[in-house]
Amino acid sequence: MSEIVQSPAPTSHAPARARTKAQVAHENNIKFAVWLYLGSEVVIFAILIGAYAVFRYNNPDIVNEVHANTGVGLVALNTFLLLASSWCMVMGLRSIQMDDKKGLINWIGATAVLGSIFIALQAVEYSALSSEGVLLTPGAEFQNFAAHFYPPTFFHGLHVLVGVVWALRVIWRARGGHYSATNYLGVETFGLYWHFVDVVWIVLFTVIYLW
Amino acid sequence: MASSVASLPIGGLRTSQGKQITLRDLLGWSVDHKVIGVQYGITALIFFIIGGTLAMLIRWELLTPALDLMANGSAYNSLFSLHGTVMIFLWIIPMGAAFGNYVVPLQLGAKDMAFPWLNAFAFWMIPPAGFFMLLGWFVGPPEAGWTSYPPLSTMFTPDGQTMWAISLHLLGISSILGAINFIVTIANMRPEGMGWFQMPLFCWAILATSIIIVMATPFLAGALTLLILDRVAGTAFFNPAGGGDVLLWQNIFWFYSHPAVYIMVLPAFGIISEVLSTHSRKPIFGYRMIALSSMAIAVVGFTVWAHHMFTALTPTLRIPFMITSMIIAVPTGIKVFSWLGTIWGGKIRWTSAMLFALGFLSMFVIGGINGVMLGSIPFDLHVHDTYFVVSHLHFVLFGGSVFGLFAGIYHWFPKVTGRMLNERLGKLHFALAYPSFFLTFFPMQIAGILGMPRRVAIYAPELQQWNVLISIASFVLGISTFVLLYNIVISVRSGKIAGANPWRALSMEWATTSPPPATNFIGDPVPYKDPYGYGTKESAAYLDTIEKRFGETEPGAGEKAGQALEVPSGD
Repeated sequence: MSEIVQSPAPTSHAPARARTKAQVAHENNIKFAVWLYLGSEVVIFAILIGAYAVFRYNNPDIVNEVHANTGVGLVALNTFLLLASSWCMVMGLRSIQMDDKKGLINWIGATAVLGSIFIALQAVEYSALSSEGVLLTPGAEFQNFAAHFYPPTFFHGLHVLVGVVWALRVIWRARGGHYSATNYLGVETFGLYWHFVDVVWIVLFTVIYLW
Repeated sequence: MASSVASLPIGGLRTSQGKQITLRDLLGWSVDHKVIGVQYGITALIFFIIGGTLAMLIRWELLTPALDLMANGSAYNSLFSLHGTVMIFLWIIPMGAAFGNYVVPLQLGAKDMAFPWLNAFAFWMIPPAGFFMLLGWFVGPPEAGWTSYPPLSTMFTPDGQTMWAISLHLLGISSILGAINFIVTIANMRPEGMGWFQMPLFCWAILATSIIIVMATPFLAGALTLLILDRVAGTAFFNPAGGGDVLLWQNIFWFYSHPAVYIMVLPAFGIISEVLSTHSRKPIFGYRMIALSSMAIAVVGFTVWAHHMFTALTPTLRIPFMITSMIIAVPTGIKVFSWLGTIWGGKIRWTSAMLFALGFLSMFVIGGINGVMLGSIPFDLHVHDTYFVVSHLHFVLFGGSVFGLFAGIYHWFPKVTGRMLNERLGKLHFALAYPSFFLTFFPMQIAGILGMPRRVAIYAPELQQWNVLISIASFVLGISTFVLLYNIVISVRSGKIAGANPWRALSMEWATTSPPPATNFIGDPVPYKDPYGYGTKESAAYLDTIEKRFGETEPGAGEKAGQALEVPSGD
């Protein structure tokens, strides 16, 4: 531990406590690891989306029929909410970078609320679809479509759910005074994850709902 | 002289005590990469014995052309399905991770991996996952082979198949977490003075392996998710009757599993580079080419998957995959020639580690050549799904990966335990394993060309002579493993004292006590400028100084100090 960067006489109101080289290196390691993890997530989503795309290509009639029956309004609203949540996320990170702890809590709170509404609306959408025969049970009218539609969207929904829990954890830690203008790594990694979940949704929305 | 002393690890003291790993450490939660490495190794060896026992049962069954040991064909199906899965996912891959965990941080002069807790977490997923897969035996074991093609794996095999898929899912997650840890460690934790191209080749190999794992293993996770859904949720991803596609599984599975072949063999490549250079007292030949060919393999490995499905593929798509399959032989060929260049003119030490490394070199070349044969479409159409394929994959995975892992055990055991393995037993192990390996797997090529299909218990009676030969040789091969296990057990207690650097090697894991202290190094170590710079006065002086600081090797064990100064006489 020879390379500790000494801070001048530690005072209680020191705005930025000096961090050791080892801490900085560890933060870089964590960010790099999160990127690698997201890289492997891309692959999993690629398979689910790919499986849907193959189905879509082979069965255009079925997909067109389902689309005609359900419309895209509710999902478009949901997409908008998720995009807005990403914006809240950015504002939250910006707040803590300017040492605004209250702003952080409010903006991340908004992110969590929007994420929760997304999940709720997805549940509404699922129940509407199931009443139209988009069901996994054998013999349902649109069983084939269901088998290719539910896995990618449900898997994405799970990711949103994990994201909401993660957001609550960030808020919990923020209330405990964990973050500051020099220590916001936890917010940043959550942000990487949340933006990833958002980007995946844009791809899903385009491939599944618009195509 | 002065410069070599300057490059010594700072602050390392002879009095610093190494920390022996105890049984209590091994059975408990530990975030020390050294303990985790040994935990991986022991777990893998246990599964190696299980997978080996299954192999012995397969060979016993195949002594006669009729069913005799097994009650029916289904029981035989389960045997080879579990044999393949256990050997690949619970022996070779975790054993590679064992060396990676133990050796990489030491070679980088680091105190631990980048994420010690994550490392422990990744390890502790493996024993329950493996156990869960084996429990499948009681609900009806998987019968669809390690490749688990639908509809075999969806419609014709009992619930053990679902457990198999869940277990592989967990093993996959464990391996991804481990790989992320390796990439971050290698990229960010190299010491000052060690650029990418001063890094030992084992680290390069683990880096390439980890990149493949992060990119490819999620494909397996995706495929397994779909398979589990098809089996339990009534979806039809792989069932054409429900709008799915059977070939979808084959495409996704091989898009993972062909790169996975390199996940299995690249760590062995890394071990071989270390062992050949150190035990022939010569700098590695073509360092950059070996390092970069690992990366080339990592990239090209993703473009060859469909050569596993030549018989199922649209004919127009066969040619491109044949071409890429030929291309991927090139980086491997570069490595083989570089290794030959390394030992050429070296002062070869006939240690057990070196013997297995040379065994690797000879057998892996055979496996590689039949790989190219299989990559050519007309030949493949003839021998597809025959024993020729079985022979090829065992030459690559046993003659290649496993011989490499054995070489690694003999090479690094002194560092892990502070004691040498018994060389006499090591040579006996090699003398039994090498010929019996060849006699087990080479005749399979002949049987395959004669038309013996793989994965059958009942075969044409005229093939019996080959199968008897194969089975007898395989029993010898099976027994030879117990020589290694016996050697490990007795050497842990009473092997010769190894000292810090019994092989007089230059990479950094040897510049500390054996076993290393809890923090690996006392103070911040400085690497020697070239991990393979053997044969100069400077490196000999460096090695002598290490010996003085960290304790000497017992006479008769390891490399003699006097012989380490091998300045080539010509230049």
